[in-house]
Amino acid sequence: MSWAAHDLEPYAFQKHMGLSVAFVPLLIGSYAPDMMTKWFVYGIHLGPWDLKAHDPAQFHRGWPGFGFTHSFIYGLAIGLIIWKVFGSKLWGVSFIIGQFAHALTDTGDTVGTMLFFPWTFHFHIGAWAYAGQTGRTTDAAAYFSGLGSMWDLVWLVYGLICWRVLTSSYFDNVIYRADPFWPWLNRRIPRGALITLYRAAFFYGSSRWLAWTIWAHVIHHYPYDLSWGGPHWVHAAHP
Amino acid sequence: MRLQRLRDWAPTLPDLRVFGGYLLAAAVYIAIGVSVTDFLYSFWVGVAYIVVAAWAVPTLVRRIL
Repeated sequence: MSWAAHDLEPYAFQKHMGLSVAFVPLLIGSYAPDMMTKWFVYGIHLGPWDLKAHDPAQFHRGWPGFGFTHSFIYGLAIGLIIWKVFGSKLWGVSFIIGQFAHALTDTGDTVGTMLFFPWTFHFHIGAWAYAGQTGRTTDAAAYFSGLGSMWDLVWLVYGLICWRVLTSSYFDNVIYRADPFWPWLNRRIPRGALITLYRAAFFYGSSRWLAWTIWAHVIHHYPYDLSWGGPHWVHAAHP
Repeated sequence: MRLQRLRDWAPTLPDLRVFGGYLLAAAVYIAIGVSVTDFLYSFWVGVAYIVVAAWAVPTLVRRIL
């Protein structure tokens, strides 16, 4: 799994696709595969109950489980529903692009994704360890010690190189014009707040990347292990 | 030619001022997040924080001044 790439990738796609995509569904698509599952992977406390998947990796990425949320067919199905039910081809296509980006990015870890579900084969490059089953704190420490965090850094640096995509003039000329959602929202919320909302995912992804890196390596001194499939000090899950 | 391209790419002073504001907001967010990691988990907390820090507070300050 990735911790910041899903926040940052939509800005790169937006830069290259301009008016032909809408940012909000692109971002929703980028978050969609984890929306229903992440809380159950790490577990939550609800009063006296502890709710957690028995096999988090299987639940998150496998079948039986919710692994189909990381497949192309899931993106296409939801995108088609958005297109036909809400009548917006732009939103449907943008959602699909965002969801595809998430599914492809997550092939980078040791569990990978069932891209061509119902074929249950897990496509995985195995560049960084999947450690969701260890709980979110150890998962964070492991992720920010391996190649996964370097992959996030690529998107962060690329975003900063393409900094104009975050400017108010880009927002006015591309983001606002491409999608009627923004003029609709502008009837309720001032323009300045809209621009801040547009930048929020980039802020969240990049700040969080820095915060977790400081937490893992300055406060707690977890060792970096940028070898393939690392860090090897954590137990990596496999399909 | 390359220098011209670099000049076109480089941010202006107003761009840098906006960036500086976000950097300041990020520094506070990171300081809170490193101390209380629960703060870093929620996207909606991040959105609420940046809307307050980068829009609501500056707007309020401008109105008062």
